[in-house]
Amino acid sequence: MPKPTDLLPLTPPVFHILLALADEERHGYGIMQDVARQTNDALQLGPGTLYGCLKRMLAAGLVEESDERPDMELDDERRRYYRMTALGRSTVRAEASRLSEAVTAAKARLRFAGGKE
Amino acid sequence: MKDSILIRGLCGVYRAMLFGYPREFRLQYGVEMQQFFHDRCRELVRAQAGSGLWFRFGLRNLTDWIVSTVRERRAARKVPGTRKLVQEWAVTLLLFLFVTTTLVQAYVVPTGSMENNILVGDHMLVDKVGFENGGNNWSSYVLPRREVKRGDIIAFRYPEDIRQTFVKRVIGVPGDRIHLTDKQVIRNGQKLDEPYARHSSPSIDEYRDNFPTAPESFISGGAQEMLARHVQDGEVIVPSDMYFVMGDNRDNSLDSRYWGFVPDNYVVGKPLVIYWSYDAPTSDLATWNLAHLEDVALHFFTKTRWNRTLTVPRSQAANY
Repeated sequence: MPKPTDLLPLTPPVFHILLALADEERHGYGIMQDVARQTNDALQLGPGTLYGCLKRMLAAGLVEESDERPDMELDDERRRYYRMTALGRSTVRAEASRLSEAVTAAKARLRFAGGKE
Repeated sequence: MKDSILIRGLCGVYRAMLFGYPREFRLQYGVEMQQFFHDRCRELVRAQAGSGLWFRFGLRNLTDWIVSTVRERRAARKVPGTRKLVQEWAVTLLLFLFVTTTLVQAYVVPTGSMENNILVGDHMLVDKVGFENGGNNWSSYVLPRREVKRGDIIAFRYPEDIRQTFVKRVIGVPGDRIHLTDKQVIRNGQKLDEPYARHSSPSIDEYRDNFPTAPESFISGGAQEMLARHVQDGEVIVPSDMYFVMGDNRDNSLDSRYWGFVPDNYVVGKPLVIYWSYDAPTSDLATWNLAHLEDVALHFFTKTRWNRTLTVPRSQAANY
């Protein structure tokens, strides 16, 4: 059984794709849109990067394909929907807390260093 | 909503770019990626994007394409698909077949007739294109070749059974007069000084050691013809396009004395390198058997003659 910490640290695309799937199932284009929203357009996934990541995340068991088609508005036979697995959820949680610890450490250190200036 | 020419054109270009990805990846995600790209184009049109945005969009997609094709190809190389595997091995196999049929031939020495220069169990590669008469003519344009000379060790088809390959030393080339007196080879009236020759038996066998005298034991048709047609004044005269060969292990060698000359076009080539030498009896080397495989598996390290590995059997001209 793979542990959630096995895959850390996650690359930024993988981290944000998991976040995009945290609340609902999405198709590829929906993931890209959500990632852009999350990051204020700082991370705009291209199709090659997105599907390359999805391929590896499927293989690692972080996400799975979904049979349901929740987005009726933009629905199309050619779209596949992706959903986060339990492992994906615990992995992204572990990554988020790792990042938060890193940010805390950085803040403490930089405040200290900044005081010297 | 009908797509504009711009969108159709861009999508066409993108579809072509998909062929930069490995086949498996393209089949798996190509349709979705086209859909993705198409959606993005439509969104930009809907937002009435200016040329700057379109340019950024194009640049970003190009970067994405370059980065992800490289990554996917590298990933595909690590775990090659069956098709790829077959392709790669097909090339290797073709090269192997080409090399083993036209350039070199692997050969195992089953007998001790060339001892102590070539031992039983020597596995060697025979250079098939090194001699001018060694078959293929085209290679003479690209590879250095030379005539078969006296003293050369050659591999050749055994005239009595061309399925077998023999390795012996050339003693006589066309025109040479040869006879033996008390084991001493005399060629064109000169005694040969043969440092490579070995004599394992002190006794004199009349035919073997005072060749060519009347044979006391059975000799094959080739030798009978040689004695009948090519002996003059007690000497064998090597006819044109023929070689007279002998094993270095003079007292224990079935060579030209017993089956006649080697025709020029029977010469396979010259031994190139001994790639493996394994101490095993003749019977195991002549035919493959299970016991031999087991023996190799158990005693590979101890019975391999490591000091002979990658050595070159030397041709050596006899000193007068």
